[in-house]
Amino acid sequence: MVDFFFYLFSAFTLACGLLVVLSRNPVNAAVFLILTLLGVASLFVMLQAYLLAAVQVLVYAGAVVVLFLFIIMLLDVPESARKRFKPAVALAAGLSGLVLILGVGLLVSGAETAGPEAPAAGVGADLKAYGEYLFTSYLLPLQVTGFLLLIAMIGVILLSRKPSAAADKEPAEAKTR
Amino acid sequence: MNYLELISHVLPEIAVLVTALVLIGMGCAGGSRGGGKAVLAVTAAGLGLALAAVVFGPESGRLLEGMIVVDALTRLFKAVLLALTLGTALFLFPGGEAGGNEGRGAENSALLLLALLGLLVVVGTENLLLLFVGLELASLALYLMVVFAAPAGRPAEAALRYFFFGSVAAAFLLFGFSFIYGATGSIDLRVIAKVLAAHPVEPILPLGVGLALVGFGFKVAAVPFHLWAPDVYQSAPAPAAGFIASASKVAGFFIVAKVLVLGFGVVEGSADWGAFAMGWAPLVAVLAALSMVVGNLAALAQQSVRRLLAYSGIGHSGFILTALVAANAEAVRAVLFYSVIYGVASLAAFGVAGCVLRARGADRLEDFAGLGRTAPAAAGVLALALLSLAGLPPLVGFFGKFQLFAAALSGGTPGTVPGLLWLVALALLMSAVSLYYYLRVLKQVFFAPAPADAAPTRDTSAGTAVCLVCGSVLVLLGLFPSLVLQPLQRALVQLF
Repeated sequence: MVDFFFYLFSAFTLACGLLVVLSRNPVNAAVFLILTLLGVASLFVMLQAYLLAAVQVLVYAGAVVVLFLFIIMLLDVPESARKRFKPAVALAAGLSGLVLILGVGLLVSGAETAGPEAPAAGVGADLKAYGEYLFTSYLLPLQVTGFLLLIAMIGVILLSRKPSAAADKEPAEAKTR
Repeated sequence: MNYLELISHVLPEIAVLVTALVLIGMGCAGGSRGGGKAVLAVTAAGLGLALAAVVFGPESGRLLEGMIVVDALTRLFKAVLLALTLGTALFLFPGGEAGGNEGRGAENSALLLLALLGLLVVVGTENLLLLFVGLELASLALYLMVVFAAPAGRPAEAALRYFFFGSVAAAFLLFGFSFIYGATGSIDLRVIAKVLAAHPVEPILPLGVGLALVGFGFKVAAVPFHLWAPDVYQSAPAPAAGFIASASKVAGFFIVAKVLVLGFGVVEGSADWGAFAMGWAPLVAVLAALSMVVGNLAALAQQSVRRLLAYSGIGHSGFILTALVAANAEAVRAVLFYSVIYGVASLAAFGVAGCVLRARGADRLEDFAGLGRTAPAAAGVLALALLSLAGLPPLVGFFGKFQLFAAALSGGTPGTVPGLLWLVALALLMSAVSLYYYLRVLKQVFFAPAPADAAPTRDTSAGTAVCLVCGSVLVLLGLFPSLVLQPLQRALVQLF
C-alpha cells in the first residue's frame, strides 16, 4: 500500500515537473510547478515529516510560486515560440543526460542500502523540536542566512536606483573576444 | 558552551559584520559623499580590529559540532583573507576622482566586507551546512560587486552570467551535500571521515562527492565550470575582479583541500597512471588537466589583459589541483601556499590593470605600451606579479610551483616512476606555454613606445602602496619562503 502511494505520488511529481519544462505558456508552467511542489509535499507526508510538508505547501506552493505568478503577470511574459535546439547542443545534452543516468544507475544497482542510521525521526514532524533545533544547534547558519537576505535587500535597492551621472565615467570597453 | 565563549571565537567575524553595518548606515546618511576618505578609514579600522581579534583571540576551539573551528590554520588564513581584503579596499578608492563609485563608496565597501564575512565563515568551519551558507553569502555579495558602480551594458551581462552559473553551481553543491548527509548521517567533516573509515561506502556517496565537486569547480574556476570567469574578470570593476581572483580563490582552494582531504580522505581513489581507482582523485585530476590545457592555451589568444589574467587564473587552478590529487600533508601545504601567493600576485596584477584602465580607457595589450616609462613603479610591480605567476626564480612563484609539482610526485613507493608523472609533465609543458603570454604583456610594457597622446598613468598613493607591498611580498617570499611555509607547516601538523 505504501509502495503504491509512493509510486503514485512520484509519478505525479515527475509528470508535473516535466510539464513545467514543456509548457509554453509561463502561467501554465508556474501552475504545474505548484502541483509538483504539492507532489513533493505528499512524499514528505508519507515520510511522516508533516511539518516539512506543511512548510512546503505554505512557503513554496503558497508564497514563492505566487510571487512567480505575480511577476509573470506584471511583466506580461509572452508565450514563447518553440525554439529548435541546435543539433550539436541537442547531441551534447542527450549524451550528458545518458551518461548521468547510466552513472547513477551503475552506482545504485546492486547496492546494499544498509547505511548508517537516519537521524532521529520526528525532527521534521514536530514544530517544537524543529524550533528548538533551529535556535540552538543551527543558530549560526540561521544568522548567516539572515545576512544573506540583507545582502539581497541591499542589492535590490542599489540596482533599482536611478543611475547617477558618475556611473558613466568608466568607459565602455571594446569587445575583444 | 556558553554564548560568551561563542562570541570570543567569532570575534573577527563580528568585527567585520559590525563594520559592514556601520558602512551601510553611512551610506544611508550620505556619509560617503566626501571623497570616500571616511569610508576608507572605517573599513580599514574594521579590518584592523578583525585582524587584531584573529591574532589575539583564542588559539584553538571547536564549537557547535564543528560549526566554529579555530586552530592555527584557520587563524592563518583568516589573517591572509583580511590582508587581501584590505588591499582590495584600498584599490576601491582611487582617491579624489572615484572610478564610477562616487557617492556609493560606502555601499561598495559594505558589500566587500559582507563578501569577506562569508569567506571568513567558510574558512572557519568544518560543517557542511555553514560552509554552504557562508559560500552563498560571499557569492551573493560578489555578484553585486561585479555589477555595482559599472556602466550599463556588458558588466550587467557578465554579472547575470556569473549569477546564473553561481546559482546552478550552488544547487549542485547543495545536492551533493544532501547526498553526503544521506550517506553518512552527518554534516560534520570529522564525523563524516570517521563514518567513512568505519562503514563500507554507500552507493550514493560518490554521487554526492561528484556533485559537490561541480560546485567547488565553479568556485575555483576549473574547466569545464570556468565559463563565467573571463567575462566577469573583464567586465567587473578592477577591484571586484581582483577580490574574486585573490581572496575568493584563496578561500575556495582552502575549503576544497579541507573538505576533500579532511572529510573524504578515505575515498580518495587514485589517479596514478595505469592504476586508476575510483574516488575523487581521478575526477580532480581530470579537472586539473583540462584547466591547465584550456586556460593556458586560451590565454594565448587574448587581447584584453584582464581576460588574459582570467584565463591564466583558470590555468593556475589546474596547477593547484594537480598537487591536490596527491592528497597528503605535503600536497595540502603546497596547495595552500600556492593559493596565497597566487592571490597576492593577482591582486597586484589587477591593481595595475585597473590603473591603466582608468588612465587610458581600455586594457588591451596596446594600452600597456610604454608603461615602463610613464609609470615605472606600476610597470615594475606588474612585471614582478606576472613573472611570479609564470614561475621564474627568484620570485616566490617559482618556489610555489616547485612545491606543487614536488608534492604531486611525492606519492607512491620510492624507486618507482611516480604515478602522477603524466599530470606533472603536462603541468610543466603548460607552464612553459604560460611564460609566452606573460612575456607578451611585458614586451608591450617595457619595449613598445608609448603612444604620443597617452594620458599620464597616475594612481593614488593608496593603490600604489598596495601594489608595492604585493610586489615586495612576492620578492621577499621568494627569497625567504619559510616565512609563510613554517607557520603553515606548524598549523598543518595540528590538523593531520
